[in-house]
Amino acid sequence: MNNSRFPLSSKKDSPRRLVEDCFRREAGSAAAIPSDTVDLVEAGILDSMAWVSFLRAVETASGVSDLGAGLNERSASLGEVLAALQNSTSEISNVDDVSLNQKISSSPGQAMLTGSSAVLGARLLPSEEVDRAFGMPAGKLRSRAGIESLSYVADGENEITLGARAAQEALRAAFCGAQQLDWIVATSETHHDYPSLSAQLHSRLLVRENCGALDTGGACVGLLNALVIAQSMIGSGQAQTVAVVTADVHSRTLTPGRVAGEFGGLFGDGASAFVLRNAARKDSSEGYRLGEFLFGCAGQYAAAIQISDTKDGSLNVQFDGEALSRAAITRMEKVLAAVELRSGIPRTSVGGFATHQPNPRLVALLAKQCGVSPSTFPPIARVSGNLGSSTCGAALHEALRNASKQPRHDRRPIFLASLGPGLLFGGGWLTPHD
Amino acid sequence: MTKLLITEITRMGPAFCVIGLQRENEKIHSIRPVPSSANGWMYFPHQRGDILEFSLAPFPGAKPHIEDRISTRTFQKSSALAEAEIVPYLRRAELARSLSELFGCKIHENKKGSGLYATPSEAQRSICGCETQNLRIELCANELRACHVLPSGEVLRDLPVVDHDWRNFVDAALAPIRGANRLPRLERFLNSHFQYKIMSCPHHFIRLGLTRPYHELCWLMLDTLFPLPRQEWLGEF
Repeated sequence: MNNSRFPLSSKKDSPRRLVEDCFRREAGSAAAIPSDTVDLVEAGILDSMAWVSFLRAVETASGVSDLGAGLNERSASLGEVLAALQNSTSEISNVDDVSLNQKISSSPGQAMLTGSSAVLGARLLPSEEVDRAFGMPAGKLRSRAGIESLSYVADGENEITLGARAAQEALRAAFCGAQQLDWIVATSETHHDYPSLSAQLHSRLLVRENCGALDTGGACVGLLNALVIAQSMIGSGQAQTVAVVTADVHSRTLTPGRVAGEFGGLFGDGASAFVLRNAARKDSSEGYRLGEFLFGCAGQYAAAIQISDTKDGSLNVQFDGEALSRAAITRMEKVLAAVELRSGIPRTSVGGFATHQPNPRLVALLAKQCGVSPSTFPPIARVSGNLGSSTCGAALHEALRNASKQPRHDRRPIFLASLGPGLLFGGGWLTPHD
Repeated sequence: MTKLLITEITRMGPAFCVIGLQRENEKIHSIRPVPSSANGWMYFPHQRGDILEFSLAPFPGAKPHIEDRISTRTFQKSSALAEAEIVPYLRRAELARSLSELFGCKIHENKKGSGLYATPSEAQRSICGCETQNLRIELCANELRACHVLPSGEVLRDLPVVDHDWRNFVDAALAPIRGANRLPRLERFLNSHFQYKIMSCPHHFIRLGLTRPYHELCWLMLDTLFPLPRQEWLGEF
């Protein structure tokens, strides 16, 4: 007997075929298919272990995540599974396709940033202590670079612990459960181990098994690379919810004796995380909408910073501070000008500039060159040092935090700009979601 | 008489399964008192932390449930420990850091769907404690399931939660008396406050167990989660 709540079977009915195939895998290939209304657990056809196992198999085969959550307070019947499956896909797309996969991939959406976080290494050292550790005169980092203190990890902290903490806080801020994530996109300029950062975060955060994990490079421009990938995933319908995570621990790599203090002394340890969701989702009412991104590589400056491993395990660092500073200011100013042009948002209307911060002196100089108040650049490097790919992330989190203190209608756009060795550059913008 | 510190009260179907810690000289190990006619108790009027005196037959159960001992007479309470005092004893009993250490055997993934299992002939025991790097509980199609990261970084997914107190807590959260949107409210709690409450508790600890053989497989389940849920948490969501 058919229940009108449940979809009818037809030749083209691939969800039904998929559900029945998964049921037979669990119950045995010779098992008869029960009617849509039979409660499989109550009838003793599947036990509770097999019931959940069957649902997970349907989730994996259909690509529909978190099917089980839609079946709470429902009977354990094939009809309910089919109905939940149909509901999940119609929430993603209203297009009346036959194939579930087609449905899932044909739902473009705009990405919205709904939660953010930044965490720092637990030890905050005055920059003079770092001067001494690198054998430099006390006060050099403060007077030459403007760095007052540096955040270093404590024992037991590393890229994974910092990144996981940041991600958990961002998820909490976004009111988003870890099992809702479709992808984790991670970036770090210091984590080179395997399993990769994204893979370890995947385990640590306890996301769904069929949540993807991807690592992107780019060093200090890594956050922007990760954001544009996440935006594209959401835009193409490949994902509904993506976590972008950065994590950098320089204090164990750029150590005294391995690199010069004028270089190694600039860097601190930290992480940042962002939750991006499809703006069309009902639960994405508050946040910032991602605008466009622009990227490039100014190869003429490539020699200003080069780092490579050597056979004896030391680091070979070529660092022309003067040349890099000039290039950084010139290029970031150009990037911000291009973002201004492309977005149509005057820089004077911008609420915060979440940029890379090689050191605080350069940030002040950049603000001056751009003709904007230095107070619109969150002071990350001054307090914590250059955090690599997490600098831009920590600055973005701070800009978002400042914006959240404003009444909703007073919130202003945020500009992004960053640089990486190469000289890679990238920029973009976010606007308050109306 | 054998004194047992009750550490596990689990519920699957109508029956309770009980495990306690026994100290023998300097060693602490788990004992599962069972009635002579079944594997579980239909009525068990005690709670975790209670120290009970049992009369137990000396013969161990069949592998992997070697902790089984038949209770030959009624038992009585002699004293009790607070929740925070139980976990240090659990940490001195069966303890593992990795999947292979849990039951002294290979753990297999269910290739058809979800869940993990051990084969009865390989498993050396049926209960083991471990620290957790992260833990998530969800309600999946009316079934309470846990995902857990071992100290080794290995992830265990879709473990049935059979902890009596946690199951009671979820039942209470979904009771009609709690008004509208009970399920979304519970899901929100499990996705946010729950994790903070567990991971920030200095004595958070879990114990994993193996089911009785079913079609010649013993499935992994989450027997115990410390801290135990508190009634006042229901007022938070």
